[in-house]
Order: sequence, then C-alpha cells, then structure tokens
Amino acid sequence: MSSEAVVAENLVKRYGDVTALAGISFSVHNGEIFGLLGPNGAGKTTTIKILTGLTPPTSGRAIVAGFDVVKNPNEVKRRVGWVSSEVILDDDLNAWENLELQAKLQGVSNWRERATELLKYFDLLPHAKRPVGNYSTGMRKKLEIATALLHSPEVLFLDEPTIGLDVNTRAMLWDLIRTVNREFGVTILLTTHYMEEADALCNRVAIINLGRIMAIGAPAELKSSVGGEVVELEVERPIDLSRLRELPDVVDVAAADGRIRITVRRAEEAIPQIVRVLDFAAVKSLRVEKPTLDTVFMKLTGKRIEESHMDYRKFYAMIRRARQ
Amino acid sequence: MSALDALWGLYKREVIKIYRRIPPLVMTFIQPILWIVFFGSSLNGLPKEALLQMFGTTNYVAFILPGQLATSMMFTGTFSSMSIVWDRRFGFLKKILVTPAPKEAVFFSKVLGAATRGLIQVPVMIAAAVAFGVVLPADALGYVEWIVGLMLLAIGFSSIYLLVAIRSSDWQLPQLVANILNLPLMFTSTALFPKNFFPWWMRDIASVNPLTFAVEIGRGLLLGDPVDVISLGYLAAFASIALAMGLLISRKYLTAE
Ligand SMILES: Nc1ncnc2c1ncn2[C@@H]1O[C@H](COP(=O)(O)OP(=O)(O)OP(=O)(O)O)[C@@H](O)[C@H]1O
Ligand SMILES: [Mg+2]
Repeated sequence: MSSEAVVAENLVKRYGDVTALAGISFSVHNGEIFGLLGPNGAGKTTTIKILTGLTPPTSGRAIVAGFDVVKNPNEVKRRVGWVSSEVILDDDLNAWENLELQAKLQGVSNWRERATELLKYFDLLPHAKRPVGNYSTGMRKKLEIATALLHSPEVLFLDEPTIGLDVNTRAMLWDLIRTVNREFGVTILLTTHYMEEADALCNRVAIINLGRIMAIGAPAELKSSVGGEVVELEVERPIDLSRLRELPDVVDVAAADGRIRITVRRAEEAIPQIVRVLDFAAVKSLRVEKPTLDTVFMKLTGKRIEESHMDYRKFYAMIRRARQ
Repeated sequence: MSALDALWGLYKREVIKIYRRIPPLVMTFIQPILWIVFFGSSLNGLPKEALLQMFGTTNYVAFILPGQLATSMMFTGTFSSMSIVWDRRFGFLKKILVTPAPKEAVFFSKVLGAATRGLIQVPVMIAAAVAFGVVLPADALGYVEWIVGLMLLAIGFSSIYLLVAIRSSDWQLPQLVANILNLPLMFTSTALFPKNFFPWWMRDIASVNPLTFAVEIGRGLLLGDPVDVISLGYLAAFASIALAMGLLISRKYLTAE
C-alpha cells in the first residue's frame, strides 16, 4: 500500500456553465485526518462525490485507496465509507435493518458481529430495534457513521459532519471522529466551514474557495504563514524595549499610544522571555492575539468564511424534507 | 454472491416498506375490494340469461375478478417509479450507489417490490370473491398459471414505469405516466367487458394488450374454459423484454442525481 490514501490531480468538474472545481490537487496521507475548509459552493461536496466514485470528474485524475476512481470505481467503493452532510438513513427501518442493508450492499459476510460491535461502541445497541425515524439528530449521525464503518473502509469521507448540531453533540462527534481515526486506523477526509473544527480535528487542512485550493498545510503552519501571534502590552509609562528585539521568538516590535505590539512566533514560549527582559512594574495589561484559520482565509480571499457561509434555514428545511 | 446479496438486501427493504407504511397498505387492499363490492354488484339486477350470454357466468364478480386483479398488477407498477423518485429525492440512492452494488440490482429490487405489492392482493381478492358467491374450481395447475401470469404482468409493468422515472426526481411524474397509461390500457383490454362488443380497432388493441392475456388466463380458470398455455408465453415475453431493457438501461443511466 502506498503512503497516500488519496491523491487528487488537477480535478475539474463542470456542471453545464458552472465550474464547481477548477483544477484541484492535493493528497491525503494514510492515517491522517485531512480537512477541506471552505464556504458554501466552494466545491467540497463535489470533491467528495468524485473521490467516492459517485460522479466522474470532467477531467483530472484521482487515486483513492490505491485505485483510480474512474477506471476502478468498484474497488474504490469497497474501500471507502461516506457520510453525507444531510443525514441519510431509511426512517422506515430500524438501526439493525439499516446496517443489514449496508452489509448486503457492501458484501460484508460477518456483518452481525461487526454491527453489534459498532452499535455497542456508539452506544446505540439498546436502540437497535427502534425505528430510526425516532432517533435524535446526534444518534442519527452516529448511526450513519457506524453504517459507513461497517465494511471496515480504509478511508472515511465525512461531509460537514457537525453542521447544524448543538455544541455538546458537536464535541461528542469530534471525540468520536478522533477515536475512529486512532482506534479503527481509518484515514479521514472531512469537509467543514467551521474553522475551529478544522483547527481542532485536522492534521492538515486545504482551504478551498470557488473550486480552487488556496493553501494546504497543518493548521499551525497556515496560521503562522499569515504572520505570527501578537502579544500586546498596555503600559503606564514608556519603558526600555531595546532588549526585546534580541529575543529569539520575537519577530517584530511596534509601540504607539502606550501600547506595545510584539509579534512573536508562539505566545506561550515568548511571554516568559518577555517577562524576563521588560520592566513589568509599568505594565497595566497583557493581551494575546492568535491568528485563526479565518484570518488565513481572509488574507487569501478578502472575505470571512462564516460570512460567506450560510444559512441554517436552508439546512433545517433540508433536514425536515429528508425526515418526512 | 454479492450481486445477489445486494438484490436480496434491497428487496427486503422494499418488502419491509410495504408492511410498515400503513396508509398505502390499506389502499392496496381497500381499493380492489371496493371494485368487487360496487362494480361487481352493479350488474346484479340483470336477468341471469343476459349475464350468462354476455359474460359466460351468472355471477358478474367471477367475470370481473380476473380483470380487476390484472388491472391491479398494472396500477401497483407505479410504486416502482415512486420508490425510485423518493430514493433520489431523499438522497438514499446516493447511499446505495456509493457502494459497489450493481445498478441492475437497484432496478430489479424495485420491480420485485412493486410486483410483491401487487401479488399480495391475490389471496385477499380471491377470498373476497368467494364471499360474494364465486365458486372456485379445483384446478391446482390452473391457479399456478394464473398467478404466474399476474406476476409476469406485474414485472413487465413495473419495469416500464420504473424506466420512465429512471432519471427523474419529480414526484409527480409517476402519477402523470400512470394517468396516461392506466385507463387506456384497462379499457382496451378484456378486464371489464368481453371483446365481442368492441369495435374492430379496439379488438385489435385488446388482442395484443398484455392485460388481456392475464385476464383471459384467470377467466378461463374461473369460468371453466381454460385458455391455451401460450398466453403465459406471451406474458413471459412481455415481462422479459421490459425487464431486460430496464436492466440494461439502468446499468448505464441510473445515477444518484
Ligand atoms: N448537480 C449539480 N448540478 C449543477 N451544479 C452543481 C451541482 N452540484 C454542485 N453544483 C455547483 O457546484 C458548486 C460547488 O458545489 P458543492 O456542493 O461542491 O459546494 P460545497 O463546498 O459542498 O458547498 P456547501 O457548503 O454549500 O455544501 C456550486 O456552485 C454548486 O451550485
Ligand atoms: Mg457541501
């Protein structure tokens, strides 16, 4: 097995006049959690549809779990799991029946043991025989992930895994995604428009906008690429700043109106050094500014992710439609 | 074999939906019984000789039962197309097509599901007809032929309806197609009246209308004038061609969106 779980080369997807993907390339290493971060219409779902073999690219090439998605879609489909952003389960079936159907579709022979194990793991075993239509949103999401894991895929695609969920359920899912990645040894490619989610979960992130990848890297790398963190001091009287510039972690110093802005690489390491060289008797307050992935997005596109993102109303309308 | 596994899993889902969704299930039984009750009773006032001369029996229910069942097989065919449209709208089709399960299995499972929904009416309707005084002949083989004929009819019509909706996500399309096809096909078959009374052009249509063949098999059995087993061959050809076309086309054209 190669060390890349996913390799996308110059993927283009057009729907009539709309260019959903304008040639994107990236790769996902085996075992990592990789995030596609971008606003509405960026092309996240389209990318996943191509990588899972649901729709062919207009041009370009993609290798997933060692197979070409266009030439060997069935080999790819055997090796990947997919969880859509809208929860898709059959509400007329119970959890067990949903899992059985998935097992038959994937040709899993020992599915009963595997299904029991997964239901236990996701705390759903006591509810296995209840109609899925009566599940809470969090339970539905968990069941969908369990379903996607039934055939022990190598790569799991999660499209907006926490969209529309409350804070607690989201935290629960983050934990779950990390454990699935660690304990089941599954490579995960997820999409999100929540920068904290990409930051908290992903080893590496690709920022995508209007069908183009703007940047790829570890969250920390991306953030430091837009300039470091800032330690801002408010002082009562002018103090001697000369020794600041000699500190290894200090990048830049600017002082104005009783405020000293010190750009540093990492605030955690820089602050103790600063404390040692400055006269802190004169310091009234200290504030730390850290760039977020949103800062990165803003720098790259001139917009904020969450502003360019949408619309819970549309989302809930969709959920309601899907559950009827 | 995994293709058969997939087919079995998908068919099981269709069957579960038949008995868990109560309103359509009730409709499945109420509608045909209403037929027998009202339509079957409508000619009760005719003199026995007239009935015998026109329909070959003194109990019009015995005449209409095979017609009603054959028609029902055609009507319930619509469930195959409705089912694919809903699966597409809810995204469930994506969930199926993201697995290596063959697309033909999806098509076939829906055809079988609709056929099953049609066939579960058979025992109920026969029992209802008995309650209305129809005397059942003792001819085991005859019943097998009749039921196989109805099954072939159901498979053929379900395949045709499903093909029409194979790429659609418009939930009104199945109803529209049903409205266009069902009534003309019913009236140009011998489901309601014997074809002796038809004008020549309707008689020509009736003699190639698959409904007629299934009707005549049942009527031959119930009225004691069995038809040639070749009728079954005709229905088998009808079902195979429609199904084969469906399987071929679904393989190429069935997509999630
Ligand atoms: N089936 C389709 N037909 C036509 N256009 C499409 C289709 N699917 C996607 N698009 C278009 O492609 C672009 C990318 O859509 P995509 O769904 O990949 O975005 P996304 O990043 O997943 O956005 P969201 O956050 O809203 O889910 C959009 O402009 C969308 O309108
Ligand atoms: Mg999307």
